[in-house]
Amino acid sequence: MLTRYGVLVFSLTFLSRTSSPAQLQESTTIGGYGNAFYQRDANQKKSTADVERFVLFLGHSFNAKTSFVSELEIEDAKVSGGETGGEVALEQAYLKFNIDPDHYFTAGLFIPRIGILNENHLPNTFNGNARTQVETFILPSTWRELGIGFYGSINSGPFNYSAAIVNGLNSEAFEHGSGIRQGRFEGRNASANNLAITGALQFNIGNIKTQVSGYYGGSVAAEPQQADTLGLASGMFGTPVIVGEADVQFESGAFSAKILGTIVSIPDAANINRAYANNAPQTEYGAYAEVAYNLFQNIEEAKPQQLNLFVRYEKLDMNASIPYNGTIDATLNQGHLTTGLSYLPLNNVVLKADVRFVRTGNQNPAISSGPYETSNTFITLGFGFSF
Amino acid sequence: MAISAGALTAELSSCSSLPVYRTAMNGNAITVPLSLFGEGDVHIIRADNYGYDIALRQEQDGSYLALLLLCTHAATQLTSVGDGYSCNLHGSKFDRHGVVTHGPAERPLKRFPTGVSANSIVISLG
Repeated sequence: MLTRYGVLVFSLTFLSRTSSPAQLQESTTIGGYGNAFYQRDANQKKSTADVERFVLFLGHSFNAKTSFVSELEIEDAKVSGGETGGEVALEQAYLKFNIDPDHYFTAGLFIPRIGILNENHLPNTFNGNARTQVETFILPSTWRELGIGFYGSINSGPFNYSAAIVNGLNSEAFEHGSGIRQGRFEGRNASANNLAITGALQFNIGNIKTQVSGYYGGSVAAEPQQADTLGLASGMFGTPVIVGEADVQFESGAFSAKILGTIVSIPDAANINRAYANNAPQTEYGAYAEVAYNLFQNIEEAKPQQLNLFVRYEKLDMNASIPYNGTIDATLNQGHLTTGLSYLPLNNVVLKADVRFVRTGNQNPAISSGPYETSNTFITLGFGFSF
Repeated sequence: MAISAGALTAELSSCSSLPVYRTAMNGNAITVPLSLFGEGDVHIIRADNYGYDIALRQEQDGSYLALLLLCTHAATQLTSVGDGYSCNLHGSKFDRHGVVTHGPAERPLKRFPTGVSANSIVISLG
């Protein structure tokens, strides 16, 4: 219970006069990132080109204690009325309250700490033109919701921790073939009847960064009476979605590596299927491992350029287990092998070329018909930047 | 529960890769004892009522480098990782001299002037 004394101490701590560096005396920052690509689909014999993302950061420091952080995103370059495709969306918009050098709160639309790409998704920070399949369809990056978060470090690292409470997912919007991705509210008219808690622990040991994170949230956005009619458990954590994730990143000299594994559990998937007929899975999983080598690391004249040769293997299954009333779709059991080059003439500019070999299970005639090839190859050229 | 959390925090504090020295501000400066560098060449300096940490490093020539652990991209506090400092907001990284190694930050970490007086190192905050 928060006593009056506790409230007084907290207020005095937070609002106490603090000296601050000159650059924090009320300042506004503008930044952004973006990427575009050309891709050739070998099976379809079809090429596409797209400005995939253009994102503007706008931040303002009111003082050393309080700041505002935002990201505004345009996908696919254009949104035209009446036409499909394209998106304009707030990726983040939150207030940040610093308690001390080790701790701060966030409140608003923010990205909880789950996975690697969810927080660090700028195109110059990962290899390959596309974000990983695992962190697109199993962990639906960028996954942002409304809520409050608490972030801390112990003595400025190496141990970091975070916890957040945010609005939950909407299981009515789950779509076959995209996991829980379509269930995100992303700050728009979110149901706050159902909530979610997330947490993460990071530990840095030398050049190794490790993280474990978790998510537990209710997925019924309907009001209780409607939920009862549909046979769904509603309320704060009714019909839960549970996510677990762990990853390790290593970087030393020219060599870098990362490995990530994640699992999603929807224990009441049968009830979701009965209510919404969207073939929700009971379990999904995904994992990937990547190694990269900077071919320019030991060439003094080449610095600060980087030429990173990488190879990554991903394994994911968006219907690893299904409820009794689900339909298995082996095309969602996938392996992706991607290899390519990332050339960075500067830290914040990257030119990418990669080839991705995809292999999936066979099509289920009960779901779809027509020819289907279980393997395909994608060649992608692109660029990215951030500032 | 509070006692257990405090004990756990104390135990985890001993796992810090860089030692943290807590002190008070002295006007517009921070004074640190020279004896601090008897062990280790990099220390985190945390001054009461100063919003961000400062990394103080003893250079090979005997001088001292003081870096403000504030990301130069979007003004977020940095954490010590491996052989540098990292920002969790957008992934910027800096080496122990404050030079950007990973963007989107483009400017190096702010340096404060330092001087040695008697048995102390004085960091001038300007």
